[in-house]
Amino acid sequence: MVLLVVGLAIGVATAVALMAITEAMQADVAVKMDEYGANILVVPKANDLALSYGGITVGSAAYDVATLSMPDVERIGTIKNAANISVVAPKLLGAVPLMGRPVLLAGVRFADELRLKRWWRVEQGMEPSEAADALAGARLAQSLAIQPGDEVEVNGRRFRVVGVLAENGSQDDDILFVDLSAAQLALDKPDAVSLVEVAALCTACPVEEMVEQISHVLPQARVTALRQAVTLRMETVGQLGRFAVAVSAVVIAIGALVVLTTMLGAVAERRQEIGLFRALGFRQRHVGRIILTEAALVSAAGGALGYLAGMGAAVTLAPRVANVTARVPWDPVLAAAAVGCALVVGVLASLYPAAQAARVDPTVALRSS
Amino acid sequence: MIELHNVSKVYNSGGAPVVALRNVNLTIAEGEFVALMGPSGSGKSTLLTIIGGMNSPTAGRVIVDGIDVYSLSPERQADFRYEYVGFVFQQLQLLPYLTALENVLLALAIAPTPRTEKIARAYEILAQVGLKGKEHRLPSQLSGGEQGRVAVARALVNRAPILLADEPTGNLDRATGMQVLELLRDLNGAGQTVVMVTHDPQAAACARRVVHILDGQIVGDTVPAPEHALAPAVLPISQPAIEPCSNATERVQ
Repeated sequence: MVLLVVGLAIGVATAVALMAITEAMQADVAVKMDEYGANILVVPKANDLALSYGGITVGSAAYDVATLSMPDVERIGTIKNAANISVVAPKLLGAVPLMGRPVLLAGVRFADELRLKRWWRVEQGMEPSEAADALAGARLAQSLAIQPGDEVEVNGRRFRVVGVLAENGSQDDDILFVDLSAAQLALDKPDAVSLVEVAALCTACPVEEMVEQISHVLPQARVTALRQAVTLRMETVGQLGRFAVAVSAVVIAIGALVVLTTMLGAVAERRQEIGLFRALGFRQRHVGRIILTEAALVSAAGGALGYLAGMGAAVTLAPRVANVTARVPWDPVLAAAAVGCALVVGVLASLYPAAQAARVDPTVALRSS
Repeated sequence: MIELHNVSKVYNSGGAPVVALRNVNLTIAEGEFVALMGPSGSGKSTLLTIIGGMNSPTAGRVIVDGIDVYSLSPERQADFRYEYVGFVFQQLQLLPYLTALENVLLALAIAPTPRTEKIARAYEILAQVGLKGKEHRLPSQLSGGEQGRVAVARALVNRAPILLADEPTGNLDRATGMQVLELLRDLNGAGQTVVMVTHDPQAAACARRVVHILDGQIVGDTVPAPEHALAPAVLPISQPAIEPCSNATERVQ
């Protein structure tokens, strides 16, 4: 019986650990998706492709371009699903001459930008804190030999480069980032915004609906959801979840076999005792009930132990093996499922041994052991 | 009370039929103490299990208290065993992990009686067989004779009218075996029907009637006298004389 509890506990522990780690991974992906970058882009409707940022086209002055303004940015915060919005990061882009070279200038709200772009690392210097502070992309700083503390002049306005971003392989490496208001003045586009990146708390939010809501409040803008990367990650985790279910099913099947063989062994070992019960007048169903009750108790114990062991393993292993940073949740539903599943498997797998026990001949009790 | 009509039993041993009983006719009245005696393999234990409703005969009928036992369904046969038969096994078959009280209670496990009443009855029967104060001991903490008494108590606790005992002294030394036999005799004196299987003439001498079995057939039906126990004469069932069957010093209260 001890073997049975251990066998079931191992089976349940494996299933619970897999399920819990997968659940934690899903939560982890959700957290990372919320943390990582924008998933909605708002750009003016335009016919020209003169300027681009991150592969997203923004308008050029050459054509009839609907522009975005600061009040438009405020309007994004008024949509029905505003509660799902975590960051709104407006930007103004413009080409400016810097030290005799054309350079892409990006006006941003640093507080929002740094929240949005968690992968940004200020390699040298520090994060900007004042209106005249600037951050230089790595390649830009290198090509123009800009160091933290240097002052640069853009269209007659002076900026102090307080930090240089670590190279990250994106277009950010070639851009000079300054405060949005300062950029609007330097580019002589007061109140203008080239594009807005929006980060929505995504796993539970209706991104498509939010896109529609923003389009509704900003009819002059083109609003796009960036779902592909997210969907891909969710699919990967989904596949992992299905894999966990499949492995759990195999483990549970093995557990059922362990129960079956152990209970058959126990019935064979206890034939004399069972024969005694039968000789004492126990009906077949009484004997069957005794075996099934024992199986139920042992299975429930195995399930409970297995849940604790599985959760212990998940809590310990999730951060190391699966690289999950999210906390593995103690899920009462999973606990109930583990005990319930062990109980059902234990009792079902004991039906045949119970039937065998019920058929034990009472005269067995007379035989010498 | 117990009637066997032309009872035969054939076992199948590896494809070959083995006749254990052939055309046995036997009547045991209420309140009798019968020893079924014969050598090993004579069919006496088979006869006991057939009387006890746990081994259906190949042919013939077994009527107990007017009930044709083997016309009952298997589940009703179980009920019959519970209601009519108390069994004392050769190996006693006490469960080693249960106390004397719990072993006795086992025989009442399926009774629709309130638990407190069952416990009271188990205490009462253990006191009756002389085990007062030892109810909570495990079998391993009891002597062989005391274990035998627990087995008898378990057989009696459901107040079954028939007590069947299969070699009740088989595993006991002579003195403790005699204690168990004295107990059976005392119970019989109080009106309990007892049927006992034994191959030991001295044990058989404790019974009031000895049925001799050889090769599956009844070859003698005697009233034992201790001095004649080894040389039985075939006698009709007559008034059995109650003789002390041993010099066992410890009498059951």
